[in-house]
Amino acid sequence: MTPAIYGILFVILAPVFGGLLAGVDRIVSARMQGRVGPPLLQPFYDLGKLFQKQARQVNPVVEPLLLAHVGFMAVTGAMLLGGTDLIFVAFVFALAALFLVLAAGSVDSPYSFAGAERELIVLLASEPFFILMMAAICKVTGASTYAGVLASPELVAVQLPGVLLAFLLVATIKLRKSPFDISISHHPHQELVSGLTTDMSGRLLAYVELTHWYESALLCAFMVLLFNWSIPLGLLVFAIAYALEVLVDNSTSRAKWQLVLRSTWVATLLFSGGNVLALFLLGR
Amino acid sequence: MSSLVAFLIAFPLVVGAILLLVTRASVRTPIVLVASAAIMVASVATVVTFGNGTAIFFGLPGGMVPGLALFGVEIAITAFIVIIGVANGRFLAPAMALIQLGIAAFLEVTGRMPEVDPQRLFWFDRLSMVMVLIIGLIGSLICINAIGYMRDYHRASPMTRGRRNVFFSLLFVFLSAMFGLVLSNDLPMMLVFWEITTLCSFLLIGYTRTEETIGYAFKALNMNLLGGLGFGLAIAVLADQHLGLDLARLTASPASGVLLAAVALLAFAGITKSAQMPFSSWLIGAMYAPSPTSALLHSSTMVKAGVFLLLRLSPAMTGSAVGYLVTFVGLMTFLFVSLVAATEQNTKKVLAYSTIGSLGLIVGCAGIGTPELAWVGVMIIIFHALAKGLLFLVVGTIENRLYTKDMENFDTLLSRLPKVSVLAMAGIAGMFIAPFGIVVAKWAAIKAFLLVPGGQGAVMIAIMAFGSSLTLFYWGKLLIKVLSMRSVGEYERSIERRISRYEWLTEGALAIGVIAVTAGIGVISDQVVGPYAISTFAGGSRSFLTIEPAMLIVMVVAVLFLPLLALWASRGKYDEADFYTSGRSANSSHVMGAALGSTRSVTLRNYYLEGVINGPLMFRVGSIACGGILAAMVFTGMVAR
Repeated sequence: MTPAIYGILFVILAPVFGGLLAGVDRIVSARMQGRVGPPLLQPFYDLGKLFQKQARQVNPVVEPLLLAHVGFMAVTGAMLLGGTDLIFVAFVFALAALFLVLAAGSVDSPYSFAGAERELIVLLASEPFFILMMAAICKVTGASTYAGVLASPELVAVQLPGVLLAFLLVATIKLRKSPFDISISHHPHQELVSGLTTDMSGRLLAYVELTHWYESALLCAFMVLLFNWSIPLGLLVFAIAYALEVLVDNSTSRAKWQLVLRSTWVATLLFSGGNVLALFLLGR
Repeated sequence: MSSLVAFLIAFPLVVGAILLLVTRASVRTPIVLVASAAIMVASVATVVTFGNGTAIFFGLPGGMVPGLALFGVEIAITAFIVIIGVANGRFLAPAMALIQLGIAAFLEVTGRMPEVDPQRLFWFDRLSMVMVLIIGLIGSLICINAIGYMRDYHRASPMTRGRRNVFFSLLFVFLSAMFGLVLSNDLPMMLVFWEITTLCSFLLIGYTRTEETIGYAFKALNMNLLGGLGFGLAIAVLADQHLGLDLARLTASPASGVLLAAVALLAFAGITKSAQMPFSSWLIGAMYAPSPTSALLHSSTMVKAGVFLLLRLSPAMTGSAVGYLVTFVGLMTFLFVSLVAATEQNTKKVLAYSTIGSLGLIVGCAGIGTPELAWVGVMIIIFHALAKGLLFLVVGTIENRLYTKDMENFDTLLSRLPKVSVLAMAGIAGMFIAPFGIVVAKWAAIKAFLLVPGGQGAVMIAIMAFGSSLTLFYWGKLLIKVLSMRSVGEYERSIERRISRYEWLTEGALAIGVIAVTAGIGVISDQVVGPYAISTFAGGSRSFLTIEPAMLIVMVVAVLFLPLLALWASRGKYDEADFYTSGRSANSSHVMGAALGSTRSVTLRNYYLEGVINGPLMFRVGSIACGGILAAMVFTGMVAR
């Protein structure tokens, strides 16, 4: 199969993967809290319901911006698996995320706006890591595409332990898990619950959820890049990492944005930056 | 060719002289329009006659040499600076100008100046071609825009109304000097044009003659004269050592020994002119001038002269310690000004920091001296000139309508000035929306830095990663403000109708240019920038940087999306639904019901990272760090001999 087909497959299958992951997440979280939890397919039922409900349009730009959010996130995945340059993909990834900020920020309301600003902060916090990670992976393998990295004889994670460590931290942001869920949360006890989705309803909310599923699948694909020897190995590590995230999510409370920004930047600089510096100094 | 080039340099100068005598707007407007059109046509014609693109050298029509005429201009410039400096009680600038003149006089009198080859005065290659188009097209559009802008500007501040003739005259003299600068091959001639641009920007920045602007004008003058001194010393070193003053020959291959010392001094001049730290403050001060000045200084002239010289020097810096240190000055500047920009609320200052950051990227690319990075540098020059020129003009238009530069007051712009918002969107998308233009350049830069051996490469990539995220942050904040909407009254809707047609015409043209250049990036890369990079650097090959169709499609969609969205949203009427405020009553003018039946007004402000990033401190730290690197750069160059 050509890489382009993998790209198309991502666009179709990633929501299924992300939805199932969300279902498992909810069951595991419920068990941790001593509840039984919803059925595995509940996220899909929820999404279907959202699409049927009436969407309340606060202004005309929110919906197009959210469509761009979904679209560019799907394109990010398609480009990643379809063989586009990895560092370029990191930039498209950031653009896709930015559209959610713009959608929420365009609503002239306090809750939405605060959520949008915080989302921009977490973007600022996480973006350097993804650029560094892609650059490091290219440096280690000498490849610049997804297929190239998978074909590389080097096991990337062995060369990039610092990057892997920082990835676990930054993934907390992208998976919207506590303590880094400052812009939006699924826990009802946080001070700004809906955050940037406050003024989104019906299918608008469904777009946000769908994009989140794409994002989860993308993170999984990134993990496979780090464990490039075998795809099942990458999936297994992702599952373990995700379980850890759920545990942390249920046992911590939300941090302030200052802490989120500082901790992720310091981690990115120390672990990923140090790792990349070592690679260059050792002439890898 | 030579007569076209002579026209490009002489014609704007003549127009400038005529405009100085014209005080009536009704006479000035047609002159500016016709002259700008003529300059556009001439710059395109020059490029068209360029032929197959191999570098060519030529002299003045009839084989004339400037000779002592250059010296005469230098005396005139010095006399002017001395008079104006003494009149304002500022003596640093006159002192530097006199030293500069002293160096030139010493070289002339002692007969050290080498013979000039009358057939190698000018150098035209693909880099000069790009520059001529930028100066000729964007510069002229800015001149036309100024017709409308200055009318409104003086309506708001009538004090300096009578000096508009000086303003327009200076714009054209500036263009003339820029054409001369980017076409010169003879270093002393280039220095004269260099000093004229310094002088023009000094006069433009101090145009309003308030205490504040005079202060900034002298700051710009001092810093650029210091850079000019570096340029003059480089000429002295080259002349003294009989290395010749032919720029193309000097920079043909990696330099060593005395030549490297001269290259370091010239690089110092380039760094001051492109407002890199620690010389960034002059460009920030330039923000207080009328917006066309900012647009001109930031997009098509002045700072572009600095990075142009550094790109010219790039092949000579390849692989040297001087080159690496130049790169670090650029990249550190990029990182630190991005940190400062994230905390800045004045929109024009945000644009200024963003300019300095983009220039930092170009400087960073030029220092390494590989074809890949030269490609990146020229690409950034092109995109930045278009997008930043557009943005400054748009912000100027907004400023004249809303009387504010504060980013926070730009909210609901899409509702209040819908068409202007469309243009602003095009400019912002052009500047940063991943993955267009500058981001393509950032991507390419990271790829090229991956090939830099040793620890430097890692540091460069880390700087790119953090700096890029900061640009996303501050542009994102501006976008949020511009994109937000609310229902507006009849009065607010009428504001936009009073914008002059000159502003619509020029800003619209630049917006179309931004989109056209994005779509045409493949052609520009294959036909112009790629061949330039390959032919300029030894061992260049075509194997680098191909822009895949998928990338191109994503880029074009990304850059078109926001302007089209703004256009669409501004057309249709919509039923405004109230936003959610936890059950409290609220209305679109942001008055919320509070406790005990009282009401409170709500303001929404962007985050400026207070408590995490200290903007002024970052500016100082960056300036000190870059100052240290710069000193090390010049020192290394000197020691190398």
